[in-house]
Amino acid sequence: MAEGALIADCGDSAIVVKALDGDAEHRWRVVHSLADAIEDAGLAGVHGVVPTYDSLLVEFDPGLTDHEAVRRMVRRAAGAQPGSGRRPAPKRFVVPVVYGGEHGPDLPEVARQLGITEREVVEIHSGAVLTVRCLGAPVGAPMMDGPPFPRPVPRLASPRTSVPPGSIAVAGRQAVICPLRSPGGWPLLGRTPLRILDLGSEQLTPYQPGDEFRFVPIEPGQWDDYAGSALAAGHG
Amino acid sequence: MADTLTVRQSGHATVQDLGRPGRSRYGLPVNGALDQYSARVANALCGNDDTDPLIEITALDFSCTPSTDVLVAVTGAPADLTVDGIPQPQWEPLAVRGGQTLAVRGIRLGLRVYLAVYGSVHAESLLGSCAPDTILGFGRFLRPGDDLALGAQCPPIGHPEFRHPLFRIRPPRPRFGESWTIDVTDGPDIAEFGDSAGRLLSSAYVVTPSSNHIGLRMSGPVPQRVASGEVLSRGVPVGAVEVPAGDQLLVLHRGRGVTAGYPVLAVVTSTSLSPLGQARPGHTIRFRHRTVAEAVAAHRTERAVIRSVRHRAAAVLQSLDLPVLTRR
Repeated sequence: MAEGALIADCGDSAIVVKALDGDAEHRWRVVHSLADAIEDAGLAGVHGVVPTYDSLLVEFDPGLTDHEAVRRMVRRAAGAQPGSGRRPAPKRFVVPVVYGGEHGPDLPEVARQLGITEREVVEIHSGAVLTVRCLGAPVGAPMMDGPPFPRPVPRLASPRTSVPPGSIAVAGRQAVICPLRSPGGWPLLGRTPLRILDLGSEQLTPYQPGDEFRFVPIEPGQWDDYAGSALAAGHG
Repeated sequence: MADTLTVRQSGHATVQDLGRPGRSRYGLPVNGALDQYSARVANALCGNDDTDPLIEITALDFSCTPSTDVLVAVTGAPADLTVDGIPQPQWEPLAVRGGQTLAVRGIRLGLRVYLAVYGSVHAESLLGSCAPDTILGFGRFLRPGDDLALGAQCPPIGHPEFRHPLFRIRPPRPRFGESWTIDVTDGPDIAEFGDSAGRLLSSAYVVTPSSNHIGLRMSGPVPQRVASGEVLSRGVPVGAVEVPAGDQLLVLHRGRGVTAGYPVLAVVTSTSLSPLGQARPGHTIRFRHRTVAEAVAAHRTERAVIRSVRHRAAAVLQSLDLPVLTRR
């Protein structure tokens, strides 16, 4: 771990840990196991952990603890068993998507930038099982590994001020569903009629990191068959 | 019927608290009062907990009428504070009789005013906080006619004949104005900006109208990222100074999404987030470098100041036979 990760200050109330060793899967396991260990340790003053793909943000109140104490805890947790720890069996979600048109206004531009046809973009996006790596912005969004496009997808030059809920977006080597209306700078390929979040539940999201998503193209005329239904794990 | 505070002129006000921490792993921003110093002091002056709900009044005039005698404190940006038209001091506890109208008008040299009430006001809560979350669609602006239930009874306080200020607790008042000095520490990605990183500290930036509780956009000489390559989304702290493509700085505030893909050039110190939350579009921002150790020291000093205000206010309230209602 000492060599396998970089720890840096991130202002007066956070540190950031970046995993360096192994492949992407290993780095992801390391930062999520660290996050679990930090939550379990319950150090006074630590109030937030944000594990993502290969990075972990630890937020704390520097009036109650300090950077060195948090660093020590991270190093101790990392020394234990990096990359192991509890990971439940993945749940699988199947998400119907209307691609292109008004629901996926950036599909033509993404196809052009990737040098493939729109149909190929849809085939690649819906042909892969995508693993959720973290819950992120804007709120509880499932952030996934991107589908195996030939190269990274550039972000929009001018972010949208309002992206409709259920929008299916990609950027770089990442993919996401935007759960609620929010600003966004990622190109939009399509939109799902499903309701992504459960605002009445304590956990908000039916999915968690490690779960798997598969996208299934549907016709615009099928929108109403799914509209208002909640996203739920299935056997897809 | 329970005692209430009736909103008369609602302006742009919400019931607010210090936010919803501990849920960033689930993608939830912390949100909460943008000027946490003013919010904490307002509650401390009323003998409340720091985390109790209070009213955040942004930019526009606000007035309300309590149905019974209340003790309030109004902090934040300078404004014309009156009770039934008579000027009253901000940053001190203030007795308001039932039926009188408390008005906050002409907010200036800042953006946000905080109104705390002894015993607090009742507020709907989501995951342990009443802080509005605009993305979740939780919370709303107050409207004329809204009745906020008061959390405690308060006997009448005040001299029947004289209008002397009753309280002289004198918490330290921040400096307000149209130009702000905001302290920052180096961000974890400062090396990606090469020599141009220094521009952040040598330039003046102007807050643009597309600024809100999620982040402030600022125009000015923007440092340029020299490193290339894609950045995977990662957790970013409140206060992160980011440089998206384009010619503006983005400084994240408490409504920020927890992940982002831009390099973090600098991070606003926790004590400077409060003045940053008071900066209006058109105001000028200059950034000042601090070490992490200096920023932590400033944070601890500020918390000690708030504790001291709380102790002084509690002593006054107890001398008036008012129970101090803090839960902790």
